[in-house]
Amino acid sequence: MSQLRHVVRGVDHAAFPTFDPAGTVRFYRDVLGFPVVHSICAAGWGPEGHPDFIHFFFDIGNDDRLAFFYYFGLDTDVAGHPAEKGDVYARFGADVPDFFVRSRHLAIHVDTEEDLLEYRRRLDASEWPVELQIQHETIESIYTHDPNGYMFEITRALRPVLPQEDLDAQLTIEALLDVVAGPDPSMAALIARKAELIVTRAEAWEAERREHADRAGSVS
Amino acid sequence: MIALYLLDVPENTGAIKVAEQLDDVKIQRRGPYFEVSADATIVIDRRATAMRHAVWYSCIAGTTGCVISQWDKDALRADPL
Repeated sequence: MSQLRHVVRGVDHAAFPTFDPAGTVRFYRDVLGFPVVHSICAAGWGPEGHPDFIHFFFDIGNDDRLAFFYYFGLDTDVAGHPAEKGDVYARFGADVPDFFVRSRHLAIHVDTEEDLLEYRRRLDASEWPVELQIQHETIESIYTHDPNGYMFEITRALRPVLPQEDLDAQLTIEALLDVVAGPDPSMAALIARKAELIVTRAEAWEAERREHADRAGSVS
Repeated sequence: MIALYLLDVPENTGAIKVAEQLDDVKIQRRGPYFEVSADATIVIDRRATAMRHAVWYSCIAGTTGCVISQWDKDALRADPL
């Protein structure tokens, strides 16, 4: 496991192109209520042929920001024809499976069911109603696509993450790295490898946790 | 012996309760995991667990000595290799 100091503080900004700044502002600012907090108006930056652009930012909570680039004069089908699957950044042929197209997305966190349903209400009253509301393993999410075709998720935790889930994630990744280094990666191979790690590690992990808890208990 | 490993989280309780009722199946702890073991095939009925699909399809953390030959809306079946 990594012993490197972990000092980062979340998302400063994630940035995406848009050809529809009016729709984007309606969706994020007017429908969802995400304040506009920063913008840059840049004339012909950088290498030759770079269009003038506006870089604008929405506050998505926690001091994190979602940003867009609007490039003046850029052709809307620079990344593919708008009738194709995908979003304005990436277009895909009809043969590309939907699960793959939808795999890259942004999920924004809320703390409560009430907050999730409030955003559902706002979206449902807009041009971009919620397309899906679903409970996954331990989260509940709503989904829609923003005016740029980007899949947009808002999610809440159904319960806090438990310490053993961190261990489980570490064992999963260790098993995954072992399996993808081999000739024929598969779920069957992964869970067989992970069982070996569980047998050799899980009891020691629990003993160590108990020891920490006892020590903390004796101190208090 | 074959074994299935499930993490001890609330979502997996249904599967453990069903496994506890199975004949010739032994359940013991391996740290924060349940080890569900047997000398022959293990079949867990999905409906009896009352687990939601998303939970059902992610409940197995590990397998020893077996292959999962069925994992669908009806059941999970692990057969000896």
